[in-house]
Amino acid sequence: MTSWLQLGDPGVGLGGIHAWAMATAAVIAASCGLVGTLLVVRRMSLVGDAISHAVLPGIAVAVLAGGRPGGPLVFLGAVAAAMLTVWLTQGLRAAGGLAEDAGAGVVFTTLFAIGVVLVGLAPPGTHLDAACVLYGELAFLPFDTISIAGHAVPRAFVAGATVLAGLVAAVVATWKLQVFTAFDPAGARAAGLPVVGVTAGLLAATAVATVASFDAVGAVLVVAMLVAPAAAAELLTRRLHRMAAVAMALGAVAACVGYLAAWRLHTSAAGMIAVVLGLEYAAAAVLAPDDGLAARLISRVRLAWRVAREDRLATVWRAEESGNHSAARPHTPHEAMVVRWLEFTGHLLRDGSSWRLSPAGRREAENVVRSHRLWEAWLGRHADLPLDHLHPPAEWVEHHLGAEMRERLEADMDERAADPHGREIPPEA
Amino acid sequence: MTPPTRPLVELHDVTVAYGRRPVVWNVDLVIDEPCLFGIIGPNGAGKSTLLKAALGLVPLVGGEVRFFGEPLGRVRSRVGYVPQRETVDWDFPVNVMDVVLMGTYSRLGWFRRPGDRERRLARECLDRVGLADVAGRQIGRLSGGQQQRVFLARALAQQADIYFLDEPMAGVDVRSQERIFHVLDDLKAAGSLVVVVHHDLRTAAEWFDRVALVDRRVVAAGRTSETLTPENLQRTYAGHVDVLDDLAQAIAARGRTP
Amino acid sequence: MTAAAGLVSYNTVVVALGVAAVGFAAGVVGSLCVLRKRALAGDAAAHATLVGVACAFLATGRRDLVTLLSGALVAACVGLGMLVLLRRFTRTRDDAATALVIGVSFGLGITLVSGLPAWGYANSAGLEQFLLGHTAALTARDAWLLAVVATVAAAVVAAILKEATLVAFDSAFAAATGWPVSGIDYAIVGLVALMVVAGLPAVGAVLVTALVVIPPVAARFWTDRVGTMVVLSGLIGLVAALAGVAVSATRPGLATGPLVVIAAAVVFAISFFCAPHRGWIARRAEASQGMASQWSDGDGEVGP
Repeated sequence: MTSWLQLGDPGVGLGGIHAWAMATAAVIAASCGLVGTLLVVRRMSLVGDAISHAVLPGIAVAVLAGGRPGGPLVFLGAVAAAMLTVWLTQGLRAAGGLAEDAGAGVVFTTLFAIGVVLVGLAPPGTHLDAACVLYGELAFLPFDTISIAGHAVPRAFVAGATVLAGLVAAVVATWKLQVFTAFDPAGARAAGLPVVGVTAGLLAATAVATVASFDAVGAVLVVAMLVAPAAAAELLTRRLHRMAAVAMALGAVAACVGYLAAWRLHTSAAGMIAVVLGLEYAAAAVLAPDDGLAARLISRVRLAWRVAREDRLATVWRAEESGNHSAARPHTPHEAMVVRWLEFTGHLLRDGSSWRLSPAGRREAENVVRSHRLWEAWLGRHADLPLDHLHPPAEWVEHHLGAEMRERLEADMDERAADPHGREIPPEA
Repeated sequence: MTPPTRPLVELHDVTVAYGRRPVVWNVDLVIDEPCLFGIIGPNGAGKSTLLKAALGLVPLVGGEVRFFGEPLGRVRSRVGYVPQRETVDWDFPVNVMDVVLMGTYSRLGWFRRPGDRERRLARECLDRVGLADVAGRQIGRLSGGQQQRVFLARALAQQADIYFLDEPMAGVDVRSQERIFHVLDDLKAAGSLVVVVHHDLRTAAEWFDRVALVDRRVVAAGRTSETLTPENLQRTYAGHVDVLDDLAQAIAARGRTP
Repeated sequence: MTAAAGLVSYNTVVVALGVAAVGFAAGVVGSLCVLRKRALAGDAAAHATLVGVACAFLATGRRDLVTLLSGALVAACVGLGMLVLLRRFTRTRDDAATALVIGVSFGLGITLVSGLPAWGYANSAGLEQFLLGHTAALTARDAWLLAVVATVAAAVVAAILKEATLVAFDSAFAAATGWPVSGIDYAIVGLVALMVVAGLPAVGAVLVTALVVIPPVAARFWTDRVGTMVVLSGLIGLVAALAGVAVSATRPGLATGPLVVIAAAVVFAISFFCAPHRGWIARRAEASQGMASQWSDGDGEVGP
């Protein structure tokens, strides 16, 4: 625990250390974001969760067998453990009739438990202890360097960057396959595409990304790096390639911001990265252009306002039609407000104690009334509804019909230009 | 029991949406006497949705539903329900008897367990659908037709006055179908209303007294012979829903159609 | 945590009993959760508990079990509430939402627990034991508390078993016949949160979900009746908890949680292979005898 507090230990170039740690976290987070995108769109988020736990025994066995963290043997062990997880989960479903989440719950907790026990058996000095398993040691990674062209580069960064490059290359090379498999696995299988191979590849990629992240953020928080940026990106865009790019960027940004925040607050970088990822997701959920909470609230208010305007204009139009001008008067404060607004925008003109439509207001009003009556006529023809039940649905639908649809509805009618109540349907304005 | 002035089931202007997207539009149906009533229409027409909306299982965006002139909450115990067979996990650890006893739960209320009286009733209901000899069997070890009859027996154990059945003949062998229809006929003879969501036109004409043809809206409703006309069927199975689909899209997006 | 030699036996026995009670109740509650197909709901609650433990400590400065677990329970419920909100207000899919809550809430918990020493809470050491479980730190009083919580949870399940079974088997029918389905669902999930929290001291946040998933799944292999399954699942949980505590007592410093989980997994493996009818071996034997005898009584199905 206290290891995080020794971060500020001077003597080593502090800025360089931080930069390397952030760069390492960023490449790792980008790898996870890329893999996570595919996991999320294929509804395999929990498989990612399971794998990130289950790689532990693979890593532990590899370390016990003499592999070094971040080395090829450890990668191999982790991929093997990931494959074992998935194989066991699917085996339990096929042979034992277990639901997938229940099966995964059995398998990954068991494997993780075995992993923790194995880690307890590891000899001291193997860079593997319970704390590292749970939250990594990002701050220490830059001290373990290898020399590349005369420069000391942290081993973890080299491993992370290699993994990122490999994953990007693999995904780009198989892009069409990935898209097809993600959105229509059955269709892809029917088309003879190697769906099983693609899935296995994705699982292996998850394992590799997890192992690359393991030293930095530990097993459990990898889940956040896999799923959070992808889930946030999915709210921001609907195209898969953009989603992948956004997820990678969000992951990398969260890695840097989280690392700095953790340093300022003297706490775990891995934990803080997960928190920042959560904040990014929350921001996306609120601010996303189409589906964000803010956007939906705005569109709800705008619709309510439009309905209020159109209803008022239509009311005045009907009052003029029937000659009963007093019917145009607003009755509630809300209606009065709408009338004042329409007066301000020049759609209504004050006429003594009443109101009448300006040319612009008339155009809009006629289209609303036209929508209303066309819809009554359509329902009267195509639905088994009593005559006196046509008005309420039309009151609702009139605000959603566009010009093209009105034309279609009119074309559907006989040449009568009247609604089922015998009132005239005004022409398109 | 029921004054003739109160229709058994009334749906007025019922519109049902998933999320904001309407799937059944402006349904107006009144059933005022016990009969076998079929809700007929193509796949994806919203028949099951309509049934679920009537039972309060999916929210209405507009309209109202009444049973015996009252809101459903007051008369729930008089309304029986047979859901679609695929909606449950047949590997669930209960046996046939357990499932039928579930029909008695709402009368038992909280915390009380079924006793001898309920067991006797459940056994009778199983007998009526011809499954008395498999009462102790795990439900997954039944054929599709048997499973459907278990569901029917559970509804019988509700001892209701109105029964709603959602696609009870889907994936059911011919013998079970016959058996189910006969049980439904008996219910009608005993004065119950039986409303069935159904997809097979041939058996519909044979068994139902009244039908409603549904495709996103009620195209026609009434006596079977008068309603199952070629013209109505043409209107039900071939048409005009593209307008509703475009409109549903616009409403879901809080915007306008083109 | 070395107790005086004379107290060891009493304390150990009481702690073992308390943990066994938790194992039993977790198995019982977990049955409902697994039958309702919400096997991993407990995992989101479990990973969120760490935040609650840290916040409870920050707010009160106390380290007694009641305070910390109360905080954990609140956090578990908040975590589950987040799941509900994500489902209701975003288009993020359920599985991604679950993983999101697991990862982010655990991250927040780690952040808080790791930061405590630097923020001047020197005596916070010990909160980490909630990650992987350490029964050695439990006192007899703590164990009594856990036993009471476990008994209450098991009693509630016994009381609402009929209703919960109905909702788990056929929620549409339950709703149509007037049962408050979402209320019963909240009760089930709330009980799971309670048991996850009660399991924290012994099993730890990361693995406690196993306590509500593995026993029911193992019990299912032996029986086709809900009542039997619930009791059996409780017993499996009890045995696993006892075994875990016993083994960890032999080696000081060994976390209890993984050992409990491994014990439960052993029972699961035995169940999976050896159970009559549903076990792998029995199924293989049955399959080799042909399927015909299984769909007996001549009421066979003809395709639709």
